[in-house]
Amino acid sequence: MLTRSLLKLGLRDLLRRRWQTGLMVLGVALGVAVVLAIDMANASARRGFSLSTEAIVGRATHQIVDGPSGVPDETYRQLRVDWGIHSSAPVVEGTGIAIDFGQEPVTLLGIDPIADAVFRDGLSSLTATPGFGRFYTEPGAGIIGQALAARNGLRPGDHLRIQVNDHITPILVLGVMHPADPSQFGSLDNLILMDVGGAQELLGMPDRVTRIDLIVDAAQAAAIAARLPPGLRIQPSSQERQTAEQLTSAFQLNLTALSLLALVVGMFLIYNTVLFSVLRRRTVLGILVELGVTPAQVFQLVVSEAAIVSAIGAAAGIGLGWLLGRGAVRLTTQTINDLYFLAAVRQPVLDAATVLKGFGLGLGAGIGAAILPAIEAASVLPVTALKRSSLEGRVRARLPWFSLAGGIVVVGGAGLLWLSGQSLALSFAGILAMLLGLAMLTPAATVLGMRLAGPALGRMAGLLGRMAARTVVNALSRTSVAIAALMIALSVTIGVSLMIDSFRATVVNWLGVTLRADLYVSAPSTSGTRPAASLSPGLPDRLRALPGVGAVETFRAVTVSSRLGPVALSVTDASRERQARLYRFAGGTPAQVWAQVIAGSVIVSEPFAYRHAIPPVGGSVTLQTDLGEHTFSVAGIYYDYTSDQGTVLMSDNIYHRYWQDRAISSMGVFLTPGANADQVSAELGAALEGTGLLVQANAAVRQKALAIFDRTFAITAALRVLAVVVAFIGVVSALMALQLERRRELATLQALGLPPGSMWALSFLETGLMGLMAGVLSLPTGLLLAWALIDIINLRSFGWTIRMAVNPYVFVQALLVGVAAALLAAVYPGLQARRESIAEGLRQE
Amino acid sequence: MIRLENLSKTYREGAEARVVLREISVRIPDGEFVAIRGRSGSGKSTLLNLIAGIDLPSSGEVVIDDICLNRLSARDRTLYRRDHIGFVFQFFNLIPTLTVLENARLPAELAGLPSAEADRRALELLARVGLCDRPREFPDRLSGGEQQRVAIARALVQSPTVLLADEPTGNLDRGTGETVLALLTELTRQMGKTLIVVTHSRRIAESADRRLLLEDGRLIADVETIPATG
Repeated sequence: MLTRSLLKLGLRDLLRRRWQTGLMVLGVALGVAVVLAIDMANASARRGFSLSTEAIVGRATHQIVDGPSGVPDETYRQLRVDWGIHSSAPVVEGTGIAIDFGQEPVTLLGIDPIADAVFRDGLSSLTATPGFGRFYTEPGAGIIGQALAARNGLRPGDHLRIQVNDHITPILVLGVMHPADPSQFGSLDNLILMDVGGAQELLGMPDRVTRIDLIVDAAQAAAIAARLPPGLRIQPSSQERQTAEQLTSAFQLNLTALSLLALVVGMFLIYNTVLFSVLRRRTVLGILVELGVTPAQVFQLVVSEAAIVSAIGAAAGIGLGWLLGRGAVRLTTQTINDLYFLAAVRQPVLDAATVLKGFGLGLGAGIGAAILPAIEAASVLPVTALKRSSLEGRVRARLPWFSLAGGIVVVGGAGLLWLSGQSLALSFAGILAMLLGLAMLTPAATVLGMRLAGPALGRMAGLLGRMAARTVVNALSRTSVAIAALMIALSVTIGVSLMIDSFRATVVNWLGVTLRADLYVSAPSTSGTRPAASLSPGLPDRLRALPGVGAVETFRAVTVSSRLGPVALSVTDASRERQARLYRFAGGTPAQVWAQVIAGSVIVSEPFAYRHAIPPVGGSVTLQTDLGEHTFSVAGIYYDYTSDQGTVLMSDNIYHRYWQDRAISSMGVFLTPGANADQVSAELGAALEGTGLLVQANAAVRQKALAIFDRTFAITAALRVLAVVVAFIGVVSALMALQLERRRELATLQALGLPPGSMWALSFLETGLMGLMAGVLSLPTGLLLAWALIDIINLRSFGWTIRMAVNPYVFVQALLVGVAAALLAAVYPGLQARRESIAEGLRQE
Repeated sequence: MIRLENLSKTYREGAEARVVLREISVRIPDGEFVAIRGRSGSGKSTLLNLIAGIDLPSSGEVVIDDICLNRLSARDRTLYRRDHIGFVFQFFNLIPTLTVLENARLPAELAGLPSAEADRRALELLARVGLCDRPREFPDRLSGGEQQRVAIARALVQSPTVLLADEPTGNLDRGTGETVLALLTELTRQMGKTLIVVTHSRRIAESADRRLLLEDGRLIADVETIPATG
């Protein structure tokens, strides 16, 4: 056990080294904060979706669903009247945009409050409200959720205009729901509750409902399934939640992995600082051992110090994480809304488990990082054996073995990456092992690099140059850890930057292939990548009649059921044959593939083929159509970056053969030769007046798509910056300690006549060399990481092909950051050396 | 000639002021070997640091050959020290990243001497201190006595007028200490340098031309050693 004096000794040392202790606290705090913020963002998105699902699904055990056009009303009548299933309720669900309130997305829910009362709490009190009869009788009347009302100052009697599909409808606010608990209806952030009939009219679903909710047991469910007409299905209501979790799991895992990287870099920082503290105090530790302090107590002393600092850092990190989390929640929610589903999350969720996890990670990382230095401290011999040279000698003697171990870890990581199959977690573990292995090779690379640089530096900067290179090697036990930490952080910057740049370049290229029309007409959308509205099928003919319009191409985006789960189906009119560049694999020439599509085949996107193991030739997809299940042969695999779940593309003539839905989601307008795009755009706008539809030029659509792309990677970029900040702090701390440790040596040089300017030059040369070394080593490591992220992680997460685009600016930037961090580290010790006299410096231990 | 005029040094320790040297006035002619003695904390090392210009007096002046060191800028003091003063430390203070030869030639190199000339001087001095066979060794391979011999070579390489030594044998065993001291005195006498040594040792002090005795920052004795006759 530690004695009181030993504890005091440790605490006083931490206080005496305020700068280093402060930086270590900051490093741990940032690491914990990043992990916590991402955890919060993921948990908030999950909770937001789960609450809204629970509130909407209520106590329903099963749902009857159909294809894109919905379940016929008649089925509901049959259920209740003919089959006697009274625990059933019709639900009409859709989304719209509150156009007067910052284009907020709203969830429209049409229900029958009486039939629904057994499914969802809070409705009975609602129906008892005086004047509730108008809910059924007043067209376009609705009850809104309290969050929507509070945010926009809406009261009963107010109107709010909602854009749904190709029309704008004013909704009369009949009342505001005040739910008793968050699982109830009214807690839904952007809810508008309407009568079934009103919602059907608003959403353009006459005589159809989105689904019928049921409370039935398994036997009843099976009996219903047997009696349902073709096309209709009964499914457990839990399926929706599972689907949402599956949709976002890869996205969230990627964020978690990246956030953990910040903590790993933080661990390097702690390791480095604790090691420095041990090495600096080796004489004191030796004296303690001489006085009878046991090696176990020395071990405990070092670990306790790290634990104290890590605990303070972790606590600070929780506070910082809460602040960062608010930004992270906004960014991830936006991305989830853009790419996956509408998750109205406004409040970050920070529960006790997340706080404990953050604290535990911070403390664990601190203690874990301190173990090796603590073992080093515990093995300290009495003072006579404590020459620094012998310690560095030992480090150099172990270097070949350490490097060999690093090589083995790299190979092991590569093997794990190779053998990990589709497992994302194992792939990340493989990458982490490779990075750690490369970090272990850093000391050997540093020795080699300095041997090469030394003579050249000697020629350029004379004695100072030779000294700088040798100092880096002579203090290898400290310098190599700092170099490795900075190298890892810079590699992450390079890897992630190259991945984002390559991805962006690929998407830009792909947009050029897919966006061929001059103008696009669509409804304002709650989703970023797929237009989900149902526009009137008569619209294209109206537009074709306008002057300057050569052709109008229609597009329909729907989700259909299949045994594989929900499938995003893209329906396009078959008039325009697709370019060869669109295809990843094609079973023939583009003309042959397109002929097959017109004849009834489909083409599937890359992620779809990857997820469902569809072979390039001879594959098929079975979808639930309105006529029952049908198997479509796959004629090719195409590039598509709109959905990581994948899409199936079908010609409209085939879609109309199997589905009754005739709506369209958006249109591409091709101009006649010589037509003025602005003029045609204005005419289209005039023709579509009152519909709320948007007419956008090709360039604007591309820009919007890239804005969504940039938004998606905003959080990744933020995490990358934070990882670099943690490393920056680590390097500044490590190099600062190294420079402070050499105060006597530097004072000796001054005593011997080295002018102050040369002192600065020497310090900058030493730290700059280390920064440069880290920068140089990070170039191949970063390239390797970029390859792993693009060709392994991205593929296994999303199934996209990304062409690597190597931007030299990224490498230059990494080098500059490395050198800048290192140079900055020399400033404080330099200033301190200026403040004290040479005599004071010479007295330093 | 070194002239110390009313030299005082006070250190601030929080709100308190600690006087380390009080009104020291001494004149040391060229070529003299002076030993400064006194108990620990008497101000010996501080006095040496003031003479070297690596610390500044609170009041008074340090004048070497008509140049008042404490009126020079930090840079000029450094350059003066480089060209005119050699320093030998108790803990040798060799630069661990430089070889024996590089350590020895360091002041000459800092002064901008051509490399060949710096090497020639350093090797010559290393030969005189008995280390000409190990110029490429790093300091951690040397014994304490050997390290101090390199430090002496380093101190003399610029042929300074004044050589200052702060307890040069304090970290050596007695035998080695005596050898090192003999070397130091012999070389400085041969070269006609002024040698000022801070020491606890009565034996070293007795071999000096003159002994200054400090107590609580005051110069309480300034004794010339009577050369042995007959």
